[in-house]
Amino acid sequence: MTKKFTETAPFVPIEYSYEIEKILYKGQSKFQKIMVFENPYFGRMLILDGIVQLSERDEFFYHEMLTHVVMHAHPNPQKVVVIGGGDGGTVREVLKHKTVKNVYFVEIDKKVTDIARKFFPTVACSVKNPRVQTVNMDGADFVKKRPSDIDVVIVDSTDPIGFARSLFTRKFFTSIKNCLTDNGMFVIHSESLLLHKDIVIEVQETLKKVFPKVDLYTAPIATYPGNWWTFSVASKKPDPRQMKRKFNIKTKYYSDEIHHYAFLPKGLYKKLMQRKLKW
Amino acid sequence: MIRAFKVEKFHTKIVEKSTLFKVLKYLNKKNIRTPLLLIDKEKIIEKISMIGKNISNSKVFYAVKANSDIRIAKLIDRLGLGFEIASEGELNLLSSIGVDSKKIISSNPVKSDGFLKMARSYGVNYFSFDSIDEVDKLARLVPHCNVYVRVSVPNEGSEWPLNKKFGAEVNDSVSLLSYANDRGLNPVGITFHVGSQCTNIYSWNTALDKAKALWDLAEKEKIKLGVLNIGGGYPINYTKNVVKVEAIEKNINNLIYEKFPENIKIFIEPGRAVVGDAGIFVSSVIGRARRADENWLYIDIGVFNGLMESVGGIKYSYLVESLKGIRHKKKWNLAGPSCDSFDIIDKGLMLPEPEVGNLVLIFSSGAYTTSYASEFNGFPIPKTILI
Repeated sequence: MTKKFTETAPFVPIEYSYEIEKILYKGQSKFQKIMVFENPYFGRMLILDGIVQLSERDEFFYHEMLTHVVMHAHPNPQKVVVIGGGDGGTVREVLKHKTVKNVYFVEIDKKVTDIARKFFPTVACSVKNPRVQTVNMDGADFVKKRPSDIDVVIVDSTDPIGFARSLFTRKFFTSIKNCLTDNGMFVIHSESLLLHKDIVIEVQETLKKVFPKVDLYTAPIATYPGNWWTFSVASKKPDPRQMKRKFNIKTKYYSDEIHHYAFLPKGLYKKLMQRKLKW
Repeated sequence: MIRAFKVEKFHTKIVEKSTLFKVLKYLNKKNIRTPLLLIDKEKIIEKISMIGKNISNSKVFYAVKANSDIRIAKLIDRLGLGFEIASEGELNLLSSIGVDSKKIISSNPVKSDGFLKMARSYGVNYFSFDSIDEVDKLARLVPHCNVYVRVSVPNEGSEWPLNKKFGAEVNDSVSLLSYANDRGLNPVGITFHVGSQCTNIYSWNTALDKAKALWDLAEKEKIKLGVLNIGGGYPINYTKNVVKVEAIEKNINNLIYEKFPENIKIFIEPGRAVVGDAGIFVSSVIGRARRADENWLYIDIGVFNGLMESVGGIKYSYLVESLKGIRHKKKWNLAGPSCDSFDIIDKGLMLPEPEVGNLVLIFSSGAYTTSYASEFNGFPIPKTILI
């Protein structure tokens, strides 16, 4: 019989099962359980606390869409903070932008990065780049102490009801706003629009209490339950829907066209926020 | 501050992710002072949008006794529901927020003189009764008011039965309706209560059969009725998935359509179903002990200051903050903070091991908790916070 991994994501009415060709790593860090295995379709997969974080085959959907929307909506992103994203995928995408001088890579769990460097070299390829400064601490503490010199903050965390929940509070969003420059922007993933739209609304509403401009865009992600994944973006000034810089980096999915169409149509967005979407 | 809560699959059947997300976010605050009752407003709004939706010509009256917090009452008033009350205290609450008297009914079959006087001057005009004395009292204090008789129905499917204390038998009910008519009251209908937290959908079948028998007998006595008040009883999830309000209402609606005249008005009086699963208690572990091979866990919410229903058999689900994680579960006897040996919430619960100072969340605790609570032994009633 083939061995299978079944994801134990709480609050998901669908169970995702993946064939395991080979388990490459299984262990426990100070913060979470970590597993890496090989799947015939998705390639290597990273599992944290029983939940799929990425697969070699489709990780670019998530990493590109998390990163490039804010990076293109900002006129000149030079200093970028990446909170979480221990696998390095988001850092890799950020470094595709020539404007970037410093990336502060704030990952609480060093072990995730070590595992990623060993098993996901194409994802973690940029974490040792000289423009990257790695800090292993709680992201909430990092932004609290920062002067206002950051252009873009990207939060690439695990599930909001897991131990990453401190990254979804108004207090945290306020610290982020305080560490941003006048054109500063911020993005965080905010769950599936199919399965958890109440959480999407909650994150949007919390952000609106802190930032003058808040918006929502989505991307398809096969390995995240609910698939129609949302990204909540907040800005001190620039309109996230408008690209301020030309698209001239190499990507697989994101493009100037995708930037435009990824945002929720305004009518649908309004209905969502008025809780008029019933599904 | 990141608290070590590990959400398990069974929790997800009891509480929604968005509610838990808000609660856990709230608990990230540094200075949490327990005991607390966190109420998810959105959950109340969602529940209200579902109740009465599948019963034609129905009006919903929130049973204030379930949770009489003033902010909850305001929210419910704003959402257009009516209220069901029993006492001067409850009427004071509603009058303080200016609830229209036409939206208030009283279904306690035995009411005090003081309450009735106050209800009359406020303009409340719908009352239940199940005895001669009550008819006399109503005739004296609220002449000509609208009344509905409480008929007794089986409460077998309910976890919190009420049928022994209230309700007249069918034959007595007809006589009572006639007597009310003779005394100048306006007999408008019938009410029953299948018992609170009723998880058996067929309890409503039996109840509606009885109501129908009474309806027909009344008609023979030339008493024309128009209102059927089906009381409360809609259940919520405590430790398992129970039958959904939608299924219960569709069944009721079909039965009413079959048995009763077309233009009948239906009153529904939910309490638990409105606020119960919107509430989560946040308590702290104040002590642990091991005696006679049993583990005891003491928390700052007990039988007297919030968990009174545990004594009557309501079982709750818990989420325990624990650094040891869920692999190290043990059997615990869970007890409240007071000196009284009656203050034991549950026994033999499998829970992760917390330390003193860790938090214990108790799900589905929005109804019949703080409204029952006393400050016995000086322990505070959990403070209600709407999130």
